[in-house]
Amino acid sequence: MPLDTSAYSLALLRVDGRRWNELRRIHAQIRTQAAADGSSYLEMGHTKVMCVVNGPSEPGPRRGATSGGGSGGGQSKNAEVAVNIVIAGFSSVDRKRRGRGDKHILELQSTISQALAASLHTHLFPHSTINISLHVLSQDGSLLAALINAATLACVDAGIPMTDYVAACTAGSTSTYAANDEGADPLLDMNHQEEQELPGLTVATLGDSDRVAVLVCESRVQVSRLEGMLAVGVDGCKQVREILDRVVREKGIKMIQEGTVERGVGLNDMELD
Amino acid sequence: MASSQHVLLSPAELAYLHASLSLTPPIRPDGRSPTQFRPLVAETGILPGTNGSARICFADGTEAIVGVKAEVERTRTRHDFPSLDESAEDDDDLDDNQNDVVKGDNDWVEMTVEIPGYRDDDAGTVFLSAMLSEALLADGEFTKRLWINQRFHWKLYLDILLISPPLSYPLPLLSLTTHLALLAARLPRLKSEGDEDPLFDDDWAAAPYLYPRPSEKGSKATAPAPAARPPVTLLVMAVGNNIIFDPSKEELAVADVALAVSVGESSSSTTSTTSSKPTAMDIDTEETKGHNLRLLSVRTIDPPSRLTPPGIPNASNSAYGANAGAKDTEKKKQQQEQARTAESEAVEGVWKAPRGGAKTLVMATMVQKVLEKGGVADEVLDALDGVDLN
Repeated sequence: MPLDTSAYSLALLRVDGRRWNELRRIHAQIRTQAAADGSSYLEMGHTKVMCVVNGPSEPGPRRGATSGGGSGGGQSKNAEVAVNIVIAGFSSVDRKRRGRGDKHILELQSTISQALAASLHTHLFPHSTINISLHVLSQDGSLLAALINAATLACVDAGIPMTDYVAACTAGSTSTYAANDEGADPLLDMNHQEEQELPGLTVATLGDSDRVAVLVCESRVQVSRLEGMLAVGVDGCKQVREILDRVVREKGIKMIQEGTVERGVGLNDMELD
Repeated sequence: MASSQHVLLSPAELAYLHASLSLTPPIRPDGRSPTQFRPLVAETGILPGTNGSARICFADGTEAIVGVKAEVERTRTRHDFPSLDESAEDDDDLDDNQNDVVKGDNDWVEMTVEIPGYRDDDAGTVFLSAMLSEALLADGEFTKRLWINQRFHWKLYLDILLISPPLSYPLPLLSLTTHLALLAARLPRLKSEGDEDPLFDDDWAAAPYLYPRPSEKGSKATAPAPAARPPVTLLVMAVGNNIIFDPSKEELAVADVALAVSVGESSSSTTSTTSSKPTAMDIDTEETKGHNLRLLSVRTIDPPSRLTPPGIPNASNSAYGANAGAKDTEKKKQQQEQARTAESEAVEGVWKAPRGGAKTLVMATMVQKVLEKGGVADEVLDALDGVDLN
């Protein structure tokens, strides 16, 4: 479905009515599932993903296609981060089934695995595996970003020590590669329609800093626009980090109020209302 | 796969479990009664992008999501089916089936099961999806609902996702979730008539349910033979003569027999036409309330108990001095023979993996317990009625 990009310049509004620097609605929950060590559910617009983390645990017999990050095998000094992505057949508008050997899925898996392996303190868990399984329930653009955010939340829930949140977000440009448009605006958080039509990249940063953990660009972009897109993306990641942080804190306060966990030392000054 | 999953229980623990489950009444590790199900949380209509969806969370934390997606597909013309024109009504002398215009094909339903950590061509996964689709397609009534006209039909994709790691054998969970998703599934209302290219109503609120609700059954006079509910597959196991429903992983580890029993519910009209047995008719007339249950399929499941290591009785355990003082080879030989008999014979309190098949009587009782009025299937269907379908 072709996207009428020319309409953007008239009102500076995108197809879904957002301005260039606005994120879609992000809704997240953690600890959604009792049986797992950590779990989360994340919606970015209409993209909906679920994440379940098990481990760190002794590596079981290797089954299926998992991609190892950090360093391979359970014999190493660092824990292996095994990511398994299931894209449900009903997730996209037209049902499209992807096998487990799908190259696109394998790439997503290894990207997430490497990004998290760098952020998690894997050296604390030698000879073990952290199993992250991600389920895509609904897709509407920014899939990789949603998967990274969900995986981060689930790792927080699992209580695996990590340096900081890995928050991800996408950025694009209002003009296609070919158009030599000087006034092209960068766009934040692309939906599926925009992803089809416009150049875009996925960027993930580590916490509040500007340190980029993941940068994936699968489309042709003019070099001059890359800097603007990256700046907008990194800025978006900071907003996403705030949202993720709020979700974790709200859940933490709830758990203390319900008495699930004991109030720790030094938490007395924390706002509990 | 999941049925033969490794359970980390010692032979002594297995023996204890087996003993407490074979008491009358059996004592289950989680304190349930033999026919009691684990509590569950269910919701439907969670994914607006699908025709129908459902999520069920069992109390032990296992969770499944099912999405139903339908696509219009062109029906392949079959050469054994002569009536592409209107002449079908004239051929009354042909088979009864030929007369029936609404036809279904099992190819119209595609079911996939995704279990994290298992390949989709894993034998266990394939077996699970085969069992679930078998129950759905068993009576041939379901595919008739997908019929649009002579040239087109709905192709239904059922994607079953197990979100959590498979803690217990996921068959009942997946089956119940599929049941709810099918109940919540709706197909757009057909606007075109006859055999023209199908044209559908844009108004989703007007879309009829795949399984029409009892309340609107009267208005849906054109709906093909409204069998009321999709099937439910229940997991039943037996320890000795005790029959236990919805076993947990630990209970399944000591099961003598495990059965997957698929039960469907049909409206009285379909039963009276399909079942010629007078006994079934009697039941229909006797009891008007409750569910009209029909057995669709029974499958035995290889219980993981067959793979458990046996316990060693003290009599033959060298750690307890069984072989002490056995210096003579003759004496040793004698004791080895004793040990062999001990191995083959059941010793009280010592775990031994069940061998051989199931007793016919036990199997019959299991099926009967599922099907009887006010039995477990009735209860489960009643409970699922309580789920809000939006």
